[in-house]
Amino acid sequence: MSAPAPALATSPRRIVAVRLADSAEVIGVLSLVYAVLLVVFPVAFPNAIVKSWERGQLLPLLMVFTFLLDTCLYLRVAQRLSAKPGILAAACLGSLPLLVVGASSVLLQRSVKYVLLSDLPNLHAQVGEEILAHTYLALVSAVFLPFLAIRLLQQWKKTF
Amino acid sequence: MSNWNSIKWLVWVALYLIPVFLLPWAVSRSWVQQRGGTVRYTPKELFERGELGLLSLVLASGVIWDFLRSEFAPHTIAAGTVLLAMVGIMAMTVWVETYCRQHSGTDWHPARAWRDSRSLGLFVFSMAAVMEILLDRLTRLGAQ
Repeated sequence: MSAPAPALATSPRRIVAVRLADSAEVIGVLSLVYAVLLVVFPVAFPNAIVKSWERGQLLPLLMVFTFLLDTCLYLRVAQRLSAKPGILAAACLGSLPLLVVGASSVLLQRSVKYVLLSDLPNLHAQVGEEILAHTYLALVSAVFLPFLAIRLLQQWKKTF
Repeated sequence: MSNWNSIKWLVWVALYLIPVFLLPWAVSRSWVQQRGGTVRYTPKELFERGELGLLSLVLASGVIWDFLRSEFAPHTIAAGTVLLAMVGIMAMTVWVETYCRQHSGTDWHPARAWRDSRSLGLFVFSMAAVMEILLDRLTRLGAQ
C-alpha cells in the first residue's frame, strides 16, 4: 500500500488562544479617549450621555458597541494567529457583553434610586455623575469580562 | 471647553509612573555606573518578567482606596472597586505566571510577558485616570 499523499494529510487548524493583553490594550485606549473627552468637554460630553440615558438609547447603544468591539477583537486575534474561532468563545462573546451591560443598567437604576432617596443637594447633577460612572464601568466590563471568561475557560480546559 | 483644573488628576495619576518607570531605570543606571559598566538597560529589559503587573496592582489599590471613600452610591463603589481589583489581580498574574514558567523550566517568552504586563498596565493606568477624574468631578459637585 502506498503512503498517503502529503497534500491530503493536512493538520487541523487549532482554536484561537486568547490572551488578556489582546483586549486590555484596546480598553486602555478606549479609557484614555473617555478621559480626554471628560477633560476637554466637561459639560457637553456628560450631558450627551445623560440625555441619551433619559431617552432610553444608552443601553442599546452600549450593547451594540461592546458586542461589535468584542467580535472584531476576537476575529482580529484569530486572523493574527491563523487559528479558527471556537464555539465556546463565540457563545461567551455572543452573550456576555449583553448580560454585563444589562446587569450594569440594573445597578445604575438602583444607584439612581439611592441618590434620589437621599437628601443631597444638586440631586440632578449627582444622578448625572452616577450615570457617567456606570456608563464607563459598563463599557469596560462588557469588553474585559468576556475575554476574562474565555481565558479562564481555556485554562480550565487545559487543566481537566 | 475644559476647566483645566481637571488635568491635575491626570498629573496626579501620572506621578505613579515616576516610581514605576523612572526610579527603577535611574537606579539601574546608577548601579551600572558605580560598577564601571557601560551597559544600558531599557524599560523592556528591566520589566521583562512582567513586573509592571505588580506595580499595576499598587496603582489599583491606591485608586480603590480613593473610590471607597467617595460619595458615590454603594452600588457604584462596589462595581468600580471590584472591577479595578479584578484587573489589578489579572495584571499581577502575568508576573506570577512568568515566574512559575521561568522557575519550572517551562517555555518562557520574555517578549510575551513584557507585552502582556505593558497592556494590562496601560489598562489599569487609564482606568485609574478615568476614576480619578470622576471622583474629582463628584468632589467639586459636593463643594458647590
